[in-house]
Amino acid sequence: MLDWLRGKPTASAPADEGDLFDEEFQRRLDVLAIVSRKLARGRTRAERRSRKTGAGIEFADHRQYAPGDDFRYLDWNLYARTGRLLLRLYEEEEDLSVYILLDVSRSMAIGAPTSKLAYAKKLAAALGYIALANLDRVSIVTFADEVGGRLAPTRGKNRIFKAFEFLRPLRADGRTGTADAMKTFVAQNKRRGVAILISDLYDPDGFEGGINTLRYHKFEPYVVQVFDPAEVRPPLHGDVRLIDNETGDARDVTITPRVLARYAEAHRAYRRRIEDFCTQKHVPYFGVETSVPFDEAILDLLRRGGLVA
Amino acid sequence: MELAGLSLSEVLTVLGGFAAAVVVLYLLKLRRRQVEVPFVHLWQQVLAEKQTTRLFSALKRILSLLVALLVVAALAFATGDPRYAGATDEGRTTVVLIDASASMQATDVAPSRLDAARERVAPLVAAMASADRMLVAQMDASTVPLSPLTSEPRLVEDGLERLRPTDVAADLGRGLRFSLDVLAGQPRPRVVIVSDGVLGPTGRVAERAREAGVEIDWIPIGEGGRNVAITAFSVRRYPLDKSRSEVLVELFNPTDEDASVELELSGDGEPIDVQRLRVGAGERLRRFFQNVTGADRTLEAHVAMADGAPDAQPADDRAYARLPERRRARVLAVSGGNLYLSAALLLDEYLDVTEVAPADYPPPGEFDVTIFDGWVPPSPPGTDAIYLAPVPAEGVEGPFVIRGEIERPFFDRVDRDHPIVQFTALRDVNIAASLDVELQDGDRVVAGDTGAPLLVTGSRSGRRLIALLFDVRRSDLPLRVAWPLLLINSIDHFVQEDARYLSSYETGETWYVPAPGDVTEATLVTPSGEERLVPVVDGRAVCTGLEAGFYTLRAGETEEVFAANLGPSDEAILEPAEALELAGEPAGEPEIGAASVRTEIWTWLVLLALAVIGVEWFTYHRRISV
Repeated sequence: MLDWLRGKPTASAPADEGDLFDEEFQRRLDVLAIVSRKLARGRTRAERRSRKTGAGIEFADHRQYAPGDDFRYLDWNLYARTGRLLLRLYEEEEDLSVYILLDVSRSMAIGAPTSKLAYAKKLAAALGYIALANLDRVSIVTFADEVGGRLAPTRGKNRIFKAFEFLRPLRADGRTGTADAMKTFVAQNKRRGVAILISDLYDPDGFEGGINTLRYHKFEPYVVQVFDPAEVRPPLHGDVRLIDNETGDARDVTITPRVLARYAEAHRAYRRRIEDFCTQKHVPYFGVETSVPFDEAILDLLRRGGLVA
Repeated sequence: MELAGLSLSEVLTVLGGFAAAVVVLYLLKLRRRQVEVPFVHLWQQVLAEKQTTRLFSALKRILSLLVALLVVAALAFATGDPRYAGATDEGRTTVVLIDASASMQATDVAPSRLDAARERVAPLVAAMASADRMLVAQMDASTVPLSPLTSEPRLVEDGLERLRPTDVAADLGRGLRFSLDVLAGQPRPRVVIVSDGVLGPTGRVAERAREAGVEIDWIPIGEGGRNVAITAFSVRRYPLDKSRSEVLVELFNPTDEDASVELELSGDGEPIDVQRLRVGAGERLRRFFQNVTGADRTLEAHVAMADGAPDAQPADDRAYARLPERRRARVLAVSGGNLYLSAALLLDEYLDVTEVAPADYPPPGEFDVTIFDGWVPPSPPGTDAIYLAPVPAEGVEGPFVIRGEIERPFFDRVDRDHPIVQFTALRDVNIAASLDVELQDGDRVVAGDTGAPLLVTGSRSGRRLIALLFDVRRSDLPLRVAWPLLLINSIDHFVQEDARYLSSYETGETWYVPAPGDVTEATLVTPSGEERLVPVVDGRAVCTGLEAGFYTLRAGETEEVFAANLGPSDEAILEPAEALELAGEPAGEPEIGAASVRTEIWTWLVLLALAVIGVEWFTYHRRISV
């Protein structure tokens, strides 16, 4: 916060924030896992079922026959009644894949006392743990303007420590380029599943492209936008030069209360735009301020959106 | 408009230099604080709306430059000290003499005449033009400047605050001499006298002032009021009974109406007598208080109106006196046996008498006076001496050369002013014979026959002597009251308890107060507690005081108390003079100028600059103008 006030450049590497995933953090994760199961029990079964049709035993739907389809799945009874060649589809029982897409661009380094990246890491760890506890396959992928590191898909609660080890050394760097990064992601991951996008969505080229890419490739995107309180209400005054910490673009501005009010309105409008977009596309959206404790934020996500379970 | 400070060219140089510097500073690009933000695009939206106000911003920047140039211009012209045309003309030099005499303590104008004087002088000070100069001085027995000769009204006003009343008469002559000294060579000299006008003669100095072209003005103070004053107050002990005293009080009613007053006498701080008296209009009423007892050191008189209302002059309602100290005189009587002498010395209980025969002279011990009865010591005595029939023995040099004897002399001539013969009747004393002596230079015949001296005073070898040139046993003097009186007067003459003892001094005069001990410096403590060092010359402290009351003279371990009273009785006259005539011309009313010509523009210019800076600071930091 002080760095922000003094206008000093914020380091891309996170400040020494201690061990993000200490025992206290892990204890909270256990509590979250239990709570998530209780919440899920009321509306669906314990395990998630994939929407993929295939060699299951439970009928799901029909579809038009296409050359090359397996004759064994043709519904002859229906052909006899209607004269149309329709294929029987069955739900295929398989593990749910949960992809946690973590934005590690330079803009995520901003924030005090907790940077957005540190907060996002905690969210990623918590969501990953809950998914692992539900026997889902979890993979963590970092991105900026392209895909960075990747935690290979893994299962089982005890694999959470591998997730911690993956998350700990992450540093914020690079420009935000969601669209390109998501293209790469979908190309690399043919197995569909839930894609939880954790980012500030400060993408100069627009946030829509990345989300659409996920949608178009049959992923179930969830958008978690992380922002720092000081981004909403910047504690600035006087003549300043604003420098974009990703692009280096500079703007001279004299900050007055009126300018601050306009900025706050612009920020609200930007968030509203994201939310409206997600609503239109049936993509769950969550805006999370880093001043909210991460476990409260997770519970809020669980209650509102059925993100997990 | 004229410039009294820097010249116009210098002002323009300063203005040009600083204005150029300000413009250069404005041309420099503003160095801004750099702040990293995560997404500058959001700010660009805001700034896009601000583009419409770019012209207004530019105007504000120009306005800011103009404001800065205005500040520079105001300060540059302030260095020139601009004045209204005419304000720099040759100014007037004024000495204000404020009467601080006792009469100025009168309360006939509230709260007092001295305060009224301050108020009357204030407009004069306020109206000083820039080139005018003024000095204010307190005029009492002396003249004391209270401010420098200055063109700064504040210094003159501070001087007015230092004005203090005194219990003395004002000496206008001295005040005018002081003023002439100050005004010598000054332009348009003027003396303003602030007084009730009851002032003594000035001598030639007023004429000299007129001749020197000094304008003399007078601001009259006072309206008059009823007053009864104590104008004389003295006390003396009775010679034969020093426990009792005789007190003289003189009351003066300077008004046109009779007054009933109550006169209270206090001794050593305790009331000892109260009398109700009626003092006629213009009357000086003298009262003697006989056989006053109960006072050993100090006496104080206080007069008050019988109706209880205060009179208009409190300063002369009190008087103070110091009783002479009752010290026992150590007397050595060297006699072969003289009952008359022994008996006379027994009459005064304040004498410590030692009698020895001539053969035992000198005895051990210290003495104030030695009486030689019919015998002369072989060497001059170490004390003052009284010689009775000083016939020296063979081979001894006496105080007088004896030429022979005079049969049946009489006291044909007596110097009645001499203290040793006060209260004595000597004319019909019968004397069988007296010594015919040769007097020396400095000897004084106090009493004697037409042809020969009988009672002589003088000094020998630095010691005073009194010689009675006949044997009292061969006269009827011992049978008369005059004998012990003569003897005791003589002893008192030597031990300073004479009838001319000063029971009080007069304020404003130079005092020569007997100082205790052998010192060259003593500390004088005034009635108000102020202490100051005074020199001691020939055993007397030389000092003066402006307050009535009891003073203390401290020298080493010893202290002496003495009293001082208000001086001349004219201070009791409260009726202000109708006109103050000096050198045959009445003093005029002082002309009070217009204060506006004093206005110093540079202060307003600096204030303008400060105001502009203040407004700019406020509008900038309160985000009104940015």
